[in-house]
Amino acid sequence: MVTFFQKAAEYAQDAISAGKYLLQGLAVTFDHMRRRPITVQYPYEKLIPSERYRGRIHYEFDKCIACEVCVRVCPINLPVVDWVMNKETKKKELRNYSIDFGVCIFCGNCVEYCPTNCLSMTEEYELAAFDRHNLNFDNVALGRLPTNVTTDPSVIALKELAYLPQGVMDPHELEKDSSRAGKLPSEVLIKTIDNDTASIGEKTQ
Amino acid sequence: MFTTLKIVFIAVVDTGLDLEISFNHLLQGIGLPSSIAHLLWLPLPMLLVLTASLIGVLVTVWLERKISAAAQQRIGPEYAGALGILQPVADGLKLLVKEDIIPKKADSLLFTLGPILVLIPVILSWLIVPFGQNLLISNVGIGIFLWIALSSIQPIGLLMSGYASNNKYSLLGGLRAAAQSISYEIPLALAVLAVVMMSNSLSTVDIVNQQNTAGLLSWNIFRQPVGFLIFWICALAECERLPFDLPEAEEELVAGYQTEYAGMKFALFYLGSYINLILSSLLVSVLYLGGWGFPIPIDLITHSLGQSPNAPVIQIIAATIGIIMTVFKTYLLVFLAILLRWTTPRVRIDQLLDLGWKFLLPISLVNLLFTAALKLAFPIAFGG
Repeated sequence: MVTFFQKAAEYAQDAISAGKYLLQGLAVTFDHMRRRPITVQYPYEKLIPSERYRGRIHYEFDKCIACEVCVRVCPINLPVVDWVMNKETKKKELRNYSIDFGVCIFCGNCVEYCPTNCLSMTEEYELAAFDRHNLNFDNVALGRLPTNVTTDPSVIALKELAYLPQGVMDPHELEKDSSRAGKLPSEVLIKTIDNDTASIGEKTQ
Repeated sequence: MFTTLKIVFIAVVDTGLDLEISFNHLLQGIGLPSSIAHLLWLPLPMLLVLTASLIGVLVTVWLERKISAAAQQRIGPEYAGALGILQPVADGLKLLVKEDIIPKKADSLLFTLGPILVLIPVILSWLIVPFGQNLLISNVGIGIFLWIALSSIQPIGLLMSGYASNNKYSLLGGLRAAAQSISYEIPLALAVLAVVMMSNSLSTVDIVNQQNTAGLLSWNIFRQPVGFLIFWICALAECERLPFDLPEAEEELVAGYQTEYAGMKFALFYLGSYINLILSSLLVSVLYLGGWGFPIPIDLITHSLGQSPNAPVIQIIAATIGIIMTVFKTYLLVFLAILLRWTTPRVRIDQLLDLGWKFLLPISLVNLLFTAALKLAFPIAFGG
């Protein structure tokens, strides 16, 4: 009999604690009612890609020396370098260059190893096309610069979470000259230089 | 004390807007016999309640999507009308013009009958939902019992559509729905029985009147807190809302018994589930939250203002407040159901049946016995 009551009491306690946790959970959900949406309304609002964003590759035809390093470091030998040997000058003559972005994995190896820096990463990521062959960019298409999100008048550019000031979670209605948490590299540099000059000054005194 | 309560009680019964009498007077004034006036009156409240329930569904769908979005820090429907209020209309129109597909090897008769059998009892149950003293289709004597009886037709429709779809997911969903409905009907009925015992009547109007003798303090939720919780849990289970949405558990059963349905037949299920949610919330507010009652009794307010409660203007104002209070309480409960949806994880089928048979059933039995004992001990407070 005693064990029965003990069991009943334990059961009741369990039920009460379950109810308590349920209320706790409800409080958390209810708290979300007053929070602002964190979603980005995509075609109208866009996030500003970070500095090292690996988007569509940009290519400068005139800088290229047709060394084919990009082809060798590419995981699938993707770039097509079309050159002929000029017998008279004994130099390579570049005719065409193309990368198929339907196959590219945007690893950035070609950009990393290009000896003349003729390849670079842009922040363009809207590459959708109706035909996959349209994704095969030739040297003219590769040479175009993408539209910048910040300069596009039809788009509201929003800062990414890491670029917001400390404690701010919402990129909407951000003050114009607000800077992200921590110091910019330039600020750090100036401060150390100032400190160095100050310490030198102390020494001379 | 007791006599004053009784006087207030009688006063409440006697007052209230009665549109039927006014309508009949109007038509008899034109020169129509009373029988024809009655015939002309009959379809009006039915149509009104049907329209109200359908608009209620649209509002609930919109609220569900908006509140779900807020709970997940999204925006939700935004471009169909201001703040997306036309989104449910767009959804409904889309379902209306969609192709009506019946799978080749499905039992087409049962397949068609299923959703109808699910929807009709739910709509029929609106018969007994009161929005005011005389603002309901029919004050049936068996009132709340009619709802319990009608709601047990639903699992038959679910089972039917699950079986007729010729699909494993549908069959499992239908079986789960039937098991769930049957096991949660018993504690639900017992919780209702405790309320009925206190108010000495099955009629929803009497149940509300009995709660509104002293405003907020006399609401059943304070006399039946356990019953309220049991009823709410069971109502959620009956509506197949999370955490009890096993019959249509997306991750396991695709969409349960709805898997093979498309177009208007799917819309009937959709409509049925939302009308059921509103109906359950309405009945919770009727049974436990004082129905159309204002937290302070209307009679007290009119009395203190020196107005007669039978003056036409006062009657109209009181009836409007009553409707607003009913709808407000209902949507508060709908809001709670949506919050619960995003708070609680789905229970397993064995946990569901455990909760129903091993927890809610004994608790509701104890609650019933306890209510009976209290009724015998304190007949004034517990409706002797």
